[in-house]
Amino acid sequence: MLQGALDDVKRMNKRQFLYQVLSFGMIVSSALMIWKGLMVVTGSESPIVVVLSGSMEPAFHRGDLLFLTNYQDEPVRVGEIVVFKVEGRDIPIVHRVLKLHEKENGTVKFLTKGDNNSVDDRGLYAPGQLWLTKKDVVGRARGFLPYVGMVTIYMNEYPKFKYAVLACLGLYVLVHRE
Amino acid sequence: MSNKPATNAEVKEEPVKVNKWDGCAVKNALDDAVKSAMQRKFDYQENYALMDGRLAMCSIAVGVAMFAMLWDYLYPFPQSKPVLIICVSSYFFLMGLLTLYTTFKEKGIFVVSVQKDPAGFKPDNTWEASSYLKKYDDKYQLVMSCKDGRTGYLSEASLTKSVASYFDSNGELLQDLLDTDVLKVHNQALSGLKHE
Repeated sequence: MLQGALDDVKRMNKRQFLYQVLSFGMIVSSALMIWKGLMVVTGSESPIVVVLSGSMEPAFHRGDLLFLTNYQDEPVRVGEIVVFKVEGRDIPIVHRVLKLHEKENGTVKFLTKGDNNSVDDRGLYAPGQLWLTKKDVVGRARGFLPYVGMVTIYMNEYPKFKYAVLACLGLYVLVHRE
Repeated sequence: MSNKPATNAEVKEEPVKVNKWDGCAVKNALDDAVKSAMQRKFDYQENYALMDGRLAMCSIAVGVAMFAMLWDYLYPFPQSKPVLIICVSSYFFLMGLLTLYTTFKEKGIFVVSVQKDPAGFKPDNTWEASSYLKKYDDKYQLVMSCKDGRTGYLSEASLTKSVASYFDSNGELLQDLLDTDVLKVHNQALSGLKHE
């Protein structure tokens, strides 16, 4: 089958080949633009995240997919689940707001804790950091889809498998005409 | 992919062989063969404008997406928002435009050629060939139309035949049989033009 498909590619003229490459590019672009579109709509730099740890059990389990929004005019409140980034850590953390101080001018500082953890998150923050502020927030959890994120987790645990799958899909799209 | 135009000899040397159960591959092979028949049998000039239009749209769309990615990388998210809004909306607008273009303008047309008047007096005639092959169906419909450059009269002829009549049992394309039919449809359209 692959041989037949390769023959198809060999027979293409340069316009057809260019179109083949462009249609591959458009598949990648469409995914990218849907993601960027979601960013714009939700106001969050990462509108969909996967829960990587069990620190929020029983609310969220490892592998749950979270949908986030980050509207600036909605205030953060105690009890809400926020996703935040900490300097020096690559992966954002999903935890609940435990304490919050709000000033007259609207600026807030707050402390978070994982539902399943016995202590608050100060140990997780950057050295010397006691509070989170609005700029650390990636978004607030608005919806979740259980288990779906397990695919992403497995993919990241076995990068070779991930690249193999991506390469196969990419090759299929590049080689298959229309 | 071949950059140089295939000469007569090359086509004969290397017969086109496809997976005959793959409808897409069969249709593409037939379309290409019709195109090559038109190039060899008639002295027409191929006009690439239709395909180039589609390629241009695709390139712009991909370019917009790449630009959005680059901009978002250079100016991280909240800053890049206005640019992202513009890029995302223009990307999806372009996708819609592309869909309209392929469904209403291209409509399965895979080759457009221009027939120059040998004397150079009359405006050029435009030939278009389109084809239709339904999924899981073996009936290949070839439509050729010729638009008279002077009167604007459109003469059309079509032929519907099973794809099996152009491929042998190994999936090898029988170019000679197809050439004959292309010639037949072409002449039918041409005579329609003359009777007018």
